[in-house]
Amino acid sequence: MLNVYLFQVLNGLGLGMIYFLISVGLTLIFGLLNFVNFAHGAFFLLGSYLCYTLVTLTGNFWLALVAGPLVIAMLAWALERSLIQRIYHLPHTFQILVTLGIALIIQELSIMIWGPVGKSVPTPELLQGVVRFGNFAYPIYRLFLIAFSAGVAILLWLLLERTRFGALVRAGSESTEMVSLLGSNIFRLFSITFALGVGLAGLAGVLSAPLRGAHPFIGPEVLGLAFVVVVIGGMGSFSGALVAGLLVGVVQSLMTTLWPQGASLMIYAAMAVVILLRPYGLFGRA
Amino acid sequence: MDTKTGAVASKRNGATPLARPGRIRWAPGTTLAMLVVVVLLPVVLPSATLATEILIFAMAALACNLLLGYTGLLSFGQAIFFGAGAYCSALGMLHWQLGLFSALLLALGVGAVLALLVGLLCIRRKGIYFVMLTLALTQMAYFLAYTLSDWTGGDNGLLGVPRPPIALGDTTLVSLASPLAFYGLVAVLFAVIYIMARRITSSPFGSTLLAIRENEARAAALGYDIRLFKIMVFVLSGAITALAGALYAMLLNFAPLSNIELLMSEQILIMTIIGGTGSLFGSLLGAGSIVLLGDILSAIWPRWMLLLGVALIAVVIFMRGGLWGGLTSLLQRARRASSHDKEA
Repeated sequence: MLNVYLFQVLNGLGLGMIYFLISVGLTLIFGLLNFVNFAHGAFFLLGSYLCYTLVTLTGNFWLALVAGPLVIAMLAWALERSLIQRIYHLPHTFQILVTLGIALIIQELSIMIWGPVGKSVPTPELLQGVVRFGNFAYPIYRLFLIAFSAGVAILLWLLLERTRFGALVRAGSESTEMVSLLGSNIFRLFSITFALGVGLAGLAGVLSAPLRGAHPFIGPEVLGLAFVVVVIGGMGSFSGALVAGLLVGVVQSLMTTLWPQGASLMIYAAMAVVILLRPYGLFGRA
Repeated sequence: MDTKTGAVASKRNGATPLARPGRIRWAPGTTLAMLVVVVLLPVVLPSATLATEILIFAMAALACNLLLGYTGLLSFGQAIFFGAGAYCSALGMLHWQLGLFSALLLALGVGAVLALLVGLLCIRRKGIYFVMLTLALTQMAYFLAYTLSDWTGGDNGLLGVPRPPIALGDTTLVSLASPLAFYGLVAVLFAVIYIMARRITSSPFGSTLLAIRENEARAAALGYDIRLFKIMVFVLSGAITALAGALYAMLLNFAPLSNIELLMSEQILIMTIIGGTGSLFGSLLGAGSIVLLGDILSAIWPRWMLLLGVALIAVVIFMRGGLWGGLTSLLQRARRASSHDKEA
């Protein structure tokens, strides 16, 4: 019995790391650019489909893991340059509407390319099978998922805390004007951050593809969950996204054994309660 | 009153409204135009069912417009009211043998009460947090409906929703079994709601809503109780949306789970925006064109929703007024051209 719970907690950690990767991009973009990206879930979807295509074409998951997020980041860069940059100055309402439009376009294009039925992606050969600890067995791919995303989280933390780029992002989140006045090219910073944030959503999509496959209508669901995590963790907070992501993942995973239908209900209720009682999130600053 | 709305509609800092309602000059014209459209729809369209669907969504878009276009509240919560209206009226008819008007009244009541609750909660937050809250509540409503499958039928939807006749006591006056008869009922309800909404929006109450949309702090400084006004709009909008939901269930004889989905909120929002925010006639245009487009294209090109995405972006970037805004500027240009001709 205890093993079942251990199994679910580990599953929850994996799920939580996926949630973290999606949400941290959303929260970075909101923090620095003060931009609400409703197309974030659609890029996750695109990541899963790119993984499917690259794996079926080349049979190499590792290529997909590197190329998938890069392609999506490049796409995001182009989109930012051509369209998103024009709407930074508009109120959030307009940003939501435009990105909703983008999400719709990506979703419909994906269906045109990959068809309306979901695709499954095989687990990479190297990571098939299970690891045994005594009488407890756990799939290798899920362990890899946790370890790999933890590595990405650490790299991301180093990038934000220890590099000049990270310092600019953090400073820009405080005051965009000041950073701009001090002579940094704020628009380039915006483009890079947008591409990075969206690329992370793509990475999450690639990583989750061998577990859940690629489904054309997953975008809104992913977006909803990302918002739950971002709101609970506090908008713009890196550590908040990590803790809240893991929390939501583990709670959701444990609930599936107890009361599966109630899991989502509770998660969104938690989101509403946090907005009402602590609008800056559990880890954000007031 | 003109000068007051004029003053608040003048330039503000930053917060550009979606579109400026051109309601004062066009007021009598659009009501007439609406009546003409309502009468012509079943004649022009191949089926009365399609016409009914257009008016039902126009009703929902109009209610959404009161929130978004007139008060500046972008809410993803409309599906809560639409879905609840459908479920409650259907359950009332199935389990309590409610008649037509009692079922519709029940939907109105449930919509108003739910909107009161949702409004009370959501207006405690502004901007992006307001949007997020409406989103969270819609998701909760969806998963609640999904969980309560004994009542709602869950994924399968609620089947066998009746369409009771217009009756007085036990005597049937008009059967609504034929699509055209049902269209008649929906058309009358839509026209009544449209005229009522037009009167409300051009009353001092409506001007205050615009003032809140344009500059909330200034409206508050003028002494208006912003919370009260926002809640009243929520209740109004929720009741109308729930009525639309109830009519939709009667039209389909079925209340699907998708009624209460976030996607339904998005769909209603898209109709409102593409039609033109801040114009009631725009909502009719938006709902009409999207339902029609869907009906024509879905058979030959199932991915027609792609166009909606493009249109949404185009409206925000190039044409804030939506279809209605485009139409009025065309009319104005034509009028200016013709007056030039006269001078020449």
